[in-house]
Amino acid sequence: MSPSSAAGLELRQLCRQVGDRRLLDRLDLQVAPGECVALLGPSGCGKSTTLRLVAGLDPASGGQVLLDGVDLTGRSPGERQVAMVFQSYALYPHLSVEGNLDLGLKVRGMAPRERQQRIDATLELLQLGELRQRRPAQLSGGQRQRVALARALLRQPRIVLLDEPMSNLDAQLREDLRPELRRLLCGREQPVIYVTHDQQEAVGMADRIALLDAGRLQQVGSPRELYTNPANRFVASFLGRPAINLLAIEPGRQLGLRPEHIHLADDGGVAARLLRREWWGHQQLLWLQTQWGALRVLTTAEAPMHPEPRLSWERQHELWFDAQSGARLPPP
Amino acid sequence: MSAPTVSLLLMLPALLLLASVFLYPLLRYGWLSLQASSVLTGLVPVPNGGANWGRLLDDARFWTDAGQTLRFALCSVSLELLGGLALALLLHRPLRGRGPLRALTLLPWALPTTVMALGWRWILNDPHGPINAAIRSLGGSSYGFLSTPATTWFFVVLADVWKTMPFVALLLLAGLQTIPVDLEEALRLEGASRLQILRRLTLPLLVPYLTLALLFRLAQALGVFDLIQVLTGGGPAGSTESLALYAYLNAMRFLDFGYASTVMLATFLLLLVSLGGGWLLLRRHGQGHATERAA
Repeated sequence: MSPSSAAGLELRQLCRQVGDRRLLDRLDLQVAPGECVALLGPSGCGKSTTLRLVAGLDPASGGQVLLDGVDLTGRSPGERQVAMVFQSYALYPHLSVEGNLDLGLKVRGMAPRERQQRIDATLELLQLGELRQRRPAQLSGGQRQRVALARALLRQPRIVLLDEPMSNLDAQLREDLRPELRRLLCGREQPVIYVTHDQQEAVGMADRIALLDAGRLQQVGSPRELYTNPANRFVASFLGRPAINLLAIEPGRQLGLRPEHIHLADDGGVAARLLRREWWGHQQLLWLQTQWGALRVLTTAEAPMHPEPRLSWERQHELWFDAQSGARLPPP
Repeated sequence: MSAPTVSLLLMLPALLLLASVFLYPLLRYGWLSLQASSVLTGLVPVPNGGANWGRLLDDARFWTDAGQTLRFALCSVSLELLGGLALALLLHRPLRGRGPLRALTLLPWALPTTVMALGWRWILNDPHGPINAAIRSLGGSSYGFLSTPATTWFFVVLADVWKTMPFVALLLLAGLQTIPVDLEEALRLEGASRLQILRRLTLPLLVPYLTLALLFRLAQALGVFDLIQVLTGGGPAGSTESLALYAYLNAMRFLDFGYASTVMLATFLLLLVSLGGGWLLLRRHGQGHATERAA
């Protein structure tokens, strides 16, 4: 495949440097039309930086942003036909819901009748019709988020960017909104980039996850790929809750074992002593002392508990890492 | 005790203080404006049945001064608002050395008016001031900037704008800083130009601050005294005399306290009407923005 003819969004060796701080280091990423890719990582990992480079709000220090093979890198934000939902929603406080939607269209010089049609259609799609005269300050958090979404979808953008769109909402609402957000955003023609630091949200929203750390892409793939076949220790420990156990079994090598992959056995296996248990209703988390240190083990809530259980696991679940670099190693 | 009674009691000390410094002098002026109290009465107040107010209506000097004061206030305040807005927008942009620059712009405002008015008087001095020195060294002859009504008026406004524009800029800069960057970026993504962002976003959100600056400045400009007293003394030929200056002259030079109080009260009424007008004007444009800004 010739890289310049790829449909969708392509980031090629994208860099952003401010002073001597490298915020983003040679990022390569492709997002197909209709695909939703989540940029995931801890704060300061470069995910919002990437979004701003794609939107054109900050200049790239190197590399390219291509849409359907066309280089957007030098273009102003207004020329890119990018829609962005901000973490703060960035609603214009002096305008009503309708005014918020209208301003962008007005700025682009669209005829009043067409503006009204678009606005009506979008308000209906997002069930915001009754709120059209309200000011942002008179809306709940969830409603504001929908208005921000409506504003983004209104003018049929060619790329949709979402910067932590749900981080200002409470946990329950976030869960409820996920399917709706997916219905509205994904599966259209536009590539979607969804920035979040919440892995649950990334797994729930995205077709693929691009995991970033310290400005570098660590791994990109489906949630299942990242979980079962992590490229390195960072990916293994970032994804999955409770976090993976890392055991210094051999010099120079670490064994990664996910808490849900360790079984309690009556005999054989490794000796352990129960330190603490957390009961979660459907499951329980056990803290066990072993010869390599404390381990987390996830079991069913009803599992019978021995004060000094034996632990076992399957070879296929072992993940080996270089103790120094964190790189993934083949099993010994 | 009911809640309103309690709140009234709690506010009482503050209200008493305000009454003693604002209400009492006003009432005292009101009373004095109905008395003859001048050298002719031996400075003893004698009721004269509103003769002062009748005199005011026929006093051409008062009405000329009122016109001059209004003209001065409108010219200088609008220039200050425009210039202050431009300055605030400039200082709001990420510039190198923005901190020191901001401090530097405030310098004229930090100068006591008397000092800066004396400074201007020296700059414009005929024939020894630096401007006239420069004109002469270029072969021209010195010019009496403060001897012609037109140039004098121009320099009075200029000095006032020069001194108070930084204050307006500072106020508007504070307003600009309350506008989240996201909003501007969202509008940039829509393809808005700088001018469109200014017109559609920045200015509407700045209305409360513009109102505040307008009211502050209008109140001060309508009561202008020290600048004119020091720079021109109201001259030449009374062409820069303000109402406050006229009231002062009546009291301190003509020792006519009854009539001075009348002029003072009339000035106060003029001020109230102008401030109310300015407030209504901007309120209609603002429609209570920004006070209900999204969290």
